[in-house]
Amino acid sequence: MLVDASDDTLAVRARDGDVQAFEAVARRHGPLMRVYAARLLGNDLESDDVVQDAFLTAWRRLGDLEDPARLRPWLMRIVSNKSIDRLRVRRDHDDIDAHDAPASRAAAPDRVVESRLQMDAMWTALDKLPLDQRRCWLLRETGGWSYGEIADALQLPVSTVRGRIARARTFLLHEMEAWR
Amino acid sequence: MSGHDDAPDGLDPLVAPDELVDGRTLDDLEAYLDRGRLPRDPAIESSAACRLALRALEQVRGLSLAVLEDEAARLPARDDRWIAGLVASIKAEVVSGRDIPLRHPDPGIRLAVTEAAVRGLLRQVGDLVDGVLVRSSGLEGDVSEPGAPIEVTLRVTTRYGLPARDVAQALRAAVASALDRHTQLTVTAVHVLVDDVWLAERRRR
Repeated sequence: MLVDASDDTLAVRARDGDVQAFEAVARRHGPLMRVYAARLLGNDLESDDVVQDAFLTAWRRLGDLEDPARLRPWLMRIVSNKSIDRLRVRRDHDDIDAHDAPASRAAAPDRVVESRLQMDAMWTALDKLPLDQRRCWLLRETGGWSYGEIADALQLPVSTVRGRIARARTFLLHEMEAWR
Repeated sequence: MSGHDDAPDGLDPLVAPDELVDGRTLDDLEAYLDRGRLPRDPAIESSAACRLALRALEQVRGLSLAVLEDEAARLPARDDRWIAGLVASIKAEVVSGRDIPLRHPDPGIRLAVTEAAVRGLLRQVGDLVDGVLVRSSGLEGDVSEPGAPIEVTLRVTTRYGLPARDVAQALRAAVASALDRHTQLTVTAVHVLVDDVWLAERRRR
Protein backbone atom coordinates (compact mmCIF):
# COMPACT_ATOMS: atom_id res chain seq x y z
CA MET A 1 0.00 0.00 0.00
CA LEU A 2 2.73 2.45 0.94
CA VAL A 3 4.65 1.71 -2.24
CA ASP A 4 1.71 3.10 -4.21
CA ALA A 5 1.25 6.19 -2.08
CA SER A 6 1.98 9.61 -3.56
CA ASP A 7 5.22 11.41 -2.74
CA ASP A 8 3.12 13.93 -0.91
CA THR A 9 1.57 11.35 1.40
CA LEU A 10 4.88 9.58 1.99
CA ALA A 11 6.61 12.83 2.88
CA VAL A 12 3.87 13.84 5.31
CA ARG A 13 3.93 10.43 6.97
CA ALA A 14 7.69 10.41 7.20
CA ARG A 15 7.56 13.83 8.80
CA ASP A 16 5.14 12.31 11.28
CA GLY A 17 7.86 9.84 12.24
CA ASP A 18 6.93 6.92 9.97
CA VAL A 19 10.17 5.09 9.17
CA GLN A 20 8.49 2.77 6.67
CA ALA A 21 7.18 5.70 4.68
CA PHE A 22 10.67 7.10 4.47
CA GLU A 23 12.01 3.72 3.44
CA ALA A 24 9.50 3.79 0.58
CA VAL A 25 10.81 7.25 -0.36
CA ALA A 26 14.37 5.94 -0.44
CA ARG A 27 13.41 2.96 -2.59
CA ARG A 28 11.49 5.13 -5.02
CA HIS A 29 13.98 7.95 -5.42
CA GLY A 30 17.29 6.40 -4.40
CA PRO A 31 18.15 5.07 -7.88
CA LEU A 32 17.67 8.45 -9.60
CA MET A 33 19.63 10.21 -6.87
CA ARG A 34 22.46 7.75 -7.32
CA VAL A 35 22.63 8.22 -11.07
CA TYR A 36 22.48 11.99 -10.59
CA ALA A 37 25.23 12.01 -7.97
CA ALA A 38 27.43 9.75 -10.08
CA ARG A 39 27.10 12.08 -13.06
CA LEU A 40 27.93 15.11 -10.89
CA LEU A 41 30.91 13.45 -9.27
CA GLY A 42 32.20 11.77 -12.37
CA ASN A 43 32.24 8.29 -10.88
CA ASP A 44 30.03 5.62 -9.38
CA LEU A 45 32.25 4.92 -6.40
CA GLU A 46 31.30 7.81 -4.18
CA SER A 47 27.68 8.14 -5.20
CA ASP A 48 26.35 5.45 -2.82
CA ASP A 49 27.89 7.23 0.14
CA VAL A 50 26.68 10.60 -0.96
CA VAL A 51 23.16 9.36 -1.50
CA GLN A 52 22.91 7.56 1.81
CA ASP A 53 24.18 10.67 3.55
CA ALA A 54 21.72 12.81 1.60
CA PHE A 55 18.74 10.68 2.64
CA LEU A 56 19.82 10.80 6.27
CA THR A 57 19.94 14.58 6.06
CA ALA A 58 16.57 14.61 4.33
CA TRP A 59 15.04 12.59 7.16
CA ARG A 60 16.38 15.04 9.72
CA ARG A 61 15.15 18.05 7.78
CA LEU A 62 11.71 16.83 6.73
CA GLY A 63 10.26 19.62 8.85
CA ASP A 64 11.80 22.13 6.41
CA LEU A 65 10.07 20.65 3.36
CA GLU A 66 7.48 23.29 2.63
CA ASP A 67 5.58 21.55 -0.12
CA PRO A 68 5.61 17.76 0.41
CA ALA A 69 4.47 17.23 -3.18
CA ARG A 70 7.80 18.72 -4.29
CA LEU A 71 9.68 15.97 -2.50
CA ARG A 72 11.81 14.94 -5.46
CA PRO A 73 13.23 18.36 -6.36
CA TRP A 74 13.91 18.88 -2.68
CA LEU A 75 15.82 15.59 -2.50
CA MET A 76 17.76 16.48 -5.63
CA ARG A 77 18.80 19.71 -4.02
CA ILE A 78 20.13 17.87 -0.99
CA VAL A 79 21.99 15.40 -3.22
CA SER A 80 23.44 18.36 -5.15
CA ASN A 81 24.69 19.88 -1.91
CA LYS A 82 26.17 16.63 -0.66
CA SER A 83 27.91 16.07 -3.96
CA ILE A 84 29.41 19.56 -3.85
CA ASP A 85 30.59 18.94 -0.28
CA ARG A 86 32.32 15.84 -1.54
CA LEU A 87 34.01 17.81 -4.29
CA ARG A 88 35.29 20.33 -1.78
CA VAL A 89 36.90 17.59 0.27
CA ARG A 90 38.54 16.34 -2.87
CA ARG A 91 39.72 19.71 -4.07
CA ASP A 92 43.18 19.42 -2.51
CA HIS A 93 44.03 16.36 -4.53
CA ASP A 94 42.13 17.50 -7.49
CA ASP A 95 43.28 15.04 -10.11
CA ILE A 96 40.24 12.80 -9.67
CA ASP A 97 38.31 14.96 -12.08
CA ALA A 98 40.85 14.07 -14.72
CA HIS A 99 39.83 10.42 -14.44
CA ASP A 100 36.21 11.01 -15.26
CA ALA A 101 35.42 7.48 -16.33
CA PRO A 102 32.89 6.78 -19.06
CA ALA A 103 29.73 5.84 -17.22
CA SER A 104 28.89 2.17 -17.12
CA ARG A 105 25.36 1.55 -18.22
CA ALA A 106 22.67 -0.84 -17.20
CA ALA A 107 21.76 -3.34 -19.91
CA ALA A 108 18.78 -2.27 -21.95
CA PRO A 109 16.79 -5.00 -23.63
CA ASP A 110 14.66 -2.61 -25.68
CA ARG A 111 17.16 -0.67 -27.74
CA VAL A 112 15.12 -0.88 -30.91
CA VAL A 113 12.61 1.87 -30.38
CA GLU A 114 13.46 5.36 -31.37
CA SER A 115 13.03 6.86 -27.95
CA ARG A 116 15.48 4.28 -26.69
CA LEU A 117 18.01 5.43 -29.27
CA GLN A 118 17.37 9.03 -28.40
CA MET A 119 17.97 8.31 -24.72
CA ASP A 120 21.19 6.54 -25.60
CA ALA A 121 22.31 9.47 -27.73
CA MET A 122 21.61 11.88 -24.89
CA TRP A 123 23.41 9.71 -22.38
CA THR A 124 26.44 9.50 -24.63
CA ALA A 125 26.37 13.24 -25.25
CA LEU A 126 26.27 14.00 -21.51
CA ASP A 127 29.04 11.53 -20.98
CA LYS A 128 31.21 13.20 -23.60
CA LEU A 129 30.91 16.58 -21.93
CA PRO A 130 33.96 17.64 -19.92
CA LEU A 131 33.11 17.01 -16.29
CA ASP A 132 33.23 20.67 -15.25
CA GLN A 133 30.70 21.58 -17.92
CA ARG A 134 28.48 18.58 -17.21
CA ARG A 135 28.45 19.38 -13.52
CA CYS A 136 27.32 22.96 -14.07
CA TRP A 137 24.78 21.89 -16.65
CA LEU A 138 23.19 19.21 -14.45
CA LEU A 139 23.14 21.42 -11.36
CA ARG A 140 21.22 23.97 -13.37
CA GLU A 141 18.95 21.85 -15.52
CA THR A 142 18.16 18.92 -13.26
CA GLY A 143 19.13 20.30 -9.85
CA GLY A 144 17.31 23.57 -10.46
CA TRP A 145 20.14 25.79 -9.21
CA SER A 146 20.67 29.35 -10.36
CA TYR A 147 23.94 30.54 -11.90
CA GLY A 148 24.69 32.36 -8.65
CA GLU A 149 24.10 29.28 -6.51
CA ILE A 150 26.35 27.16 -8.69
CA ALA A 151 29.06 29.82 -8.62
CA ASP A 152 28.91 29.99 -4.82
CA ALA A 153 28.93 26.25 -4.40
CA LEU A 154 31.82 25.64 -6.78
CA GLN A 155 33.65 28.82 -5.74
CA LEU A 156 33.84 30.09 -9.28
CA PRO A 157 33.00 33.45 -10.83
CA VAL A 158 29.46 33.59 -12.18
CA SER A 159 30.88 34.36 -15.61
CA THR A 160 32.77 31.05 -15.59
CA VAL A 161 29.63 29.14 -14.67
CA ARG A 162 27.69 30.96 -17.35
CA GLY A 163 30.38 30.12 -19.90
CA ARG A 164 30.47 26.44 -18.96
CA ILE A 165 26.72 26.12 -19.19
CA ALA A 166 26.68 27.93 -22.52
CA ARG A 167 29.32 25.57 -23.91
CA ALA A 168 27.55 22.52 -22.54
CA ARG A 169 24.29 23.71 -24.06
CA THR A 170 25.85 24.35 -27.43
CA PHE A 171 27.48 20.94 -27.42
CA LEU A 172 24.28 19.12 -26.41
CA LEU A 173 22.15 21.05 -28.91
CA HIS A 174 24.57 20.04 -31.60
CA GLU A 175 24.81 16.39 -30.55
CA MET A 176 21.05 16.03 -30.37
CA GLU A 177 20.34 17.84 -33.61
CA ALA A 178 19.58 14.63 -35.45
CA TRP A 179 16.80 13.84 -32.97
CA ARG A 180 14.72 16.90 -33.63
CA MET B 1 36.24 23.99 -25.27
CA SER B 2 33.09 23.33 -27.15
CA GLY B 3 34.62 20.91 -29.58
CA HIS B 4 32.59 22.50 -32.32
CA ASP B 5 34.60 25.50 -33.34
CA ASP B 6 34.88 23.92 -36.75
CA ALA B 7 31.15 23.74 -37.35
CA PRO B 8 30.21 25.09 -40.74
CA ASP B 9 28.82 28.60 -40.65
CA GLY B 10 25.21 29.28 -41.36
CA LEU B 11 23.95 25.72 -41.05
CA ASP B 12 23.01 25.67 -37.41
CA PRO B 13 22.55 28.98 -35.62
CA LEU B 14 22.80 27.13 -32.31
CA VAL B 15 26.37 26.00 -32.72
CA ALA B 16 28.15 29.23 -31.84
CA PRO B 17 27.52 30.10 -28.20
CA ASP B 18 27.60 33.85 -28.58
CA GLU B 19 25.59 33.99 -31.73
CA LEU B 20 22.19 35.58 -31.51
CA VAL B 21 19.03 33.86 -32.66
CA ASP B 22 17.05 36.66 -34.26
CA GLY B 23 18.51 39.13 -31.81
CA ARG B 24 18.14 36.89 -28.73
CA THR B 25 20.80 35.01 -26.83
CA LEU B 26 20.14 31.42 -25.85
CA ASP B 27 20.19 32.61 -22.23
CA ASP B 28 17.33 34.97 -23.02
CA LEU B 29 15.40 32.19 -24.68
CA GLU B 30 16.02 29.86 -21.77
CA ALA B 31 14.79 32.47 -19.32
CA TYR B 32 11.70 32.87 -21.50
CA LEU B 33 11.10 29.11 -21.26
CA ASP B 34 11.58 29.26 -17.49
CA ARG B 35 8.81 31.83 -17.33
CA GLY B 36 6.53 29.40 -19.12
CA ARG B 37 6.67 31.62 -22.26
CA LEU B 38 4.68 34.21 -20.32
CA PRO B 39 4.01 37.02 -20.80
CA ARG B 40 3.96 36.14 -24.46
CA ASP B 41 6.79 37.81 -26.35
CA PRO B 42 5.48 38.45 -29.87
CA ALA B 43 8.96 39.09 -31.26
CA ILE B 44 10.12 35.65 -30.11
CA GLU B 45 6.93 33.82 -30.98
CA SER B 46 6.80 35.25 -34.50
CA SER B 47 10.38 34.28 -35.27
CA ALA B 48 10.77 30.86 -36.82
CA ALA B 49 14.41 30.71 -35.75
CA CYS B 50 13.51 31.52 -32.16
CA ARG B 51 10.75 28.93 -32.08
CA LEU B 52 13.14 26.36 -33.46
CA ALA B 53 15.71 27.26 -30.83
CA LEU B 54 13.08 27.09 -28.08
CA ARG B 55 12.08 23.62 -29.22
CA ALA B 56 15.70 22.52 -29.29
CA LEU B 57 16.32 23.92 -25.82
CA GLU B 58 13.24 22.23 -24.43
CA GLN B 59 14.45 18.98 -25.89
CA VAL B 60 17.94 18.95 -24.38
CA ARG B 61 16.76 20.29 -21.06
CA GLY B 62 13.94 17.78 -20.81
CA LEU B 63 16.19 14.95 -21.88
CA SER B 64 18.80 15.83 -19.27
CA LEU B 65 16.49 14.72 -16.49
CA ALA B 66 14.71 12.07 -18.54
CA VAL B 67 17.95 10.28 -19.32
CA LEU B 68 18.87 10.08 -15.64
CA GLU B 69 15.40 8.77 -14.80
CA ASP B 70 15.65 6.28 -17.60
CA GLU B 71 18.98 5.00 -16.35
CA ALA B 72 17.70 4.84 -12.78
CA ALA B 73 14.70 2.79 -13.88
CA ARG B 74 16.97 0.28 -15.56
CA LEU B 75 19.45 -0.09 -12.73
CA PRO B 76 19.32 -3.51 -11.17
CA ALA B 77 17.70 -3.28 -7.75
CA ARG B 78 20.88 -3.54 -5.70
CA ASP B 79 19.62 -0.93 -3.31
CA ASP B 80 18.80 -3.05 -0.35
CA ARG B 81 22.03 -2.78 1.57
CA TRP B 82 22.23 0.98 1.74
CA ILE B 83 18.52 1.21 2.45
CA ALA B 84 18.87 -1.22 5.35
CA GLY B 85 21.68 0.93 6.72
CA LEU B 86 19.62 4.06 6.27
CA VAL B 87 16.59 2.57 8.00
CA ALA B 88 18.71 1.44 10.95
CA SER B 89 20.11 4.96 11.33
CA ILE B 90 16.82 6.78 11.16
CA LYS B 91 15.03 4.36 13.49
CA ALA B 92 17.45 5.46 16.17
CA GLU B 93 16.42 9.04 15.54
CA VAL B 94 12.66 8.76 15.78
CA VAL B 95 11.52 11.32 18.29
CA SER B 96 9.51 9.43 20.88
CA GLY B 97 7.45 12.41 22.00
CA ARG B 98 5.57 12.62 25.26
CA ASP B 99 5.14 9.69 27.63
CA ILE B 100 1.58 8.45 27.94
CA PRO B 101 1.16 6.79 31.35
CA LEU B 102 -0.58 3.45 31.86
CA ARG B 103 -2.08 2.44 35.18
CA HIS B 104 -0.75 -0.60 36.95
CA PRO B 105 -2.30 -2.27 40.01
CA ASP B 106 1.06 -2.09 41.76
CA PRO B 107 1.64 1.60 42.62
CA GLY B 108 5.36 0.94 42.65
CA ILE B 109 5.37 0.24 38.93
CA ARG B 110 5.33 3.06 36.38
CA LEU B 111 4.25 2.10 32.89
CA ALA B 112 4.01 4.31 29.84
CA VAL B 113 3.81 4.17 26.06
CA THR B 114 5.39 6.88 23.95
CA GLU B 115 3.40 9.27 21.86
CA ALA B 116 5.33 8.07 18.79
CA ALA B 117 4.17 4.51 19.47
CA VAL B 118 0.56 5.63 19.73
CA ARG B 119 0.81 7.60 16.51
CA GLY B 120 2.30 4.52 14.85
CA LEU B 121 -0.67 2.56 16.13
CA LEU B 122 -3.06 5.14 14.69
CA ARG B 123 -1.37 4.84 11.29
CA GLN B 124 -1.58 1.06 11.39
CA VAL B 125 -5.21 0.99 12.43
CA GLY B 126 -6.18 3.67 9.92
CA ASP B 127 -4.39 1.96 7.03
CA LEU B 128 -6.39 -1.20 7.72
CA VAL B 129 -9.63 0.59 6.88
CA ASP B 130 -10.41 -0.17 3.24
CA GLY B 131 -9.52 2.65 0.88
CA VAL B 132 -7.71 4.71 3.51
CA LEU B 133 -4.09 5.73 3.91
CA VAL B 134 -3.26 7.82 6.96
CA ARG B 135 -1.23 10.94 6.28
CA SER B 136 -0.70 12.30 9.76
CA SER B 137 -2.11 12.07 13.23
CA GLY B 138 -2.24 14.28 16.26
CA LEU B 139 -3.14 13.94 19.93
CA GLU B 140 -4.41 17.11 21.50
CA GLY B 141 -4.67 17.47 25.23
CA ASP B 142 -2.42 16.60 28.13
CA VAL B 143 -1.68 12.97 27.34
CA SER B 144 0.74 12.70 30.24
CA GLU B 145 -2.07 13.43 32.71
CA PRO B 146 -4.23 10.31 33.36
CA GLY B 147 -7.89 11.00 32.65
CA ALA B 148 -7.32 14.28 30.82
CA PRO B 149 -9.64 14.72 27.81
CA ILE B 150 -7.86 13.97 24.56
CA GLU B 151 -8.90 14.76 21.00
CA VAL B 152 -7.46 12.72 18.18
CA THR B 153 -7.08 14.14 14.67
CA LEU B 154 -6.37 11.94 11.68
CA ARG B 155 -5.56 13.37 8.27
CA VAL B 156 -6.09 10.75 5.62
CA THR B 157 -6.14 10.20 1.91
CA THR B 158 -8.92 8.04 0.51
CA ARG B 159 -9.68 6.16 -2.66
CA TYR B 160 -11.78 8.19 -5.06
CA GLY B 161 -15.48 7.40 -4.83
CA LEU B 162 -15.61 6.36 -1.19
CA PRO B 163 -18.25 8.29 0.73
CA ALA B 164 -16.38 10.47 3.21
CA ARG B 165 -18.95 9.89 5.90
CA ASP B 166 -18.53 6.10 5.82
CA VAL B 167 -14.79 6.46 5.88
CA ALA B 168 -14.93 8.78 8.87
CA GLN B 169 -17.27 6.45 10.72
CA ALA B 170 -15.15 3.37 10.12
CA LEU B 171 -12.01 5.26 11.15
CA ARG B 172 -13.56 6.62 14.32
CA ALA B 173 -14.67 3.16 15.40
CA ALA B 174 -11.30 1.61 14.59
CA VAL B 175 -9.36 4.33 16.37
CA ALA B 176 -11.58 4.32 19.45
CA SER B 177 -11.32 0.57 19.85
CA ALA B 178 -7.54 0.48 19.31
CA LEU B 179 -6.87 3.29 21.75
CA ASP B 180 -9.20 1.69 24.25
CA ARG B 181 -7.35 -1.59 24.02
CA HIS B 182 -3.79 -0.25 24.08
CA THR B 183 -3.98 2.94 26.16
CA GLN B 184 -6.07 4.44 28.91
CA LEU B 185 -6.56 7.75 27.18
CA THR B 186 -9.89 9.48 27.67
CA VAL B 187 -10.72 10.13 24.05
CA THR B 188 -13.43 12.75 23.77
CA ALA B 189 -13.36 13.18 19.99
CA VAL B 190 -11.84 11.64 16.87
CA HIS B 191 -11.62 14.16 14.05
CA VAL B 192 -11.12 12.80 10.56
CA LEU B 193 -9.95 15.11 7.80
CA VAL B 194 -9.83 13.82 4.25
CA ASP B 195 -6.85 15.73 2.87
CA ASP B 196 -6.44 14.05 -0.41
CA VAL B 197 -8.07 11.56 -2.73
CA TRP B 198 -6.44 9.08 -5.04
CA LEU B 199 -7.73 7.53 -8.23
CA ALA B 200 -7.71 3.77 -8.13
CA GLU B 201 -5.63 3.23 -11.29
CA ARG B 202 -2.97 5.87 -11.07
CA ARG B 203 -2.09 6.75 -7.55
CA ARG B 204 1.54 7.62 -7.92
CA ARG B 205 2.69 11.23 -8.09
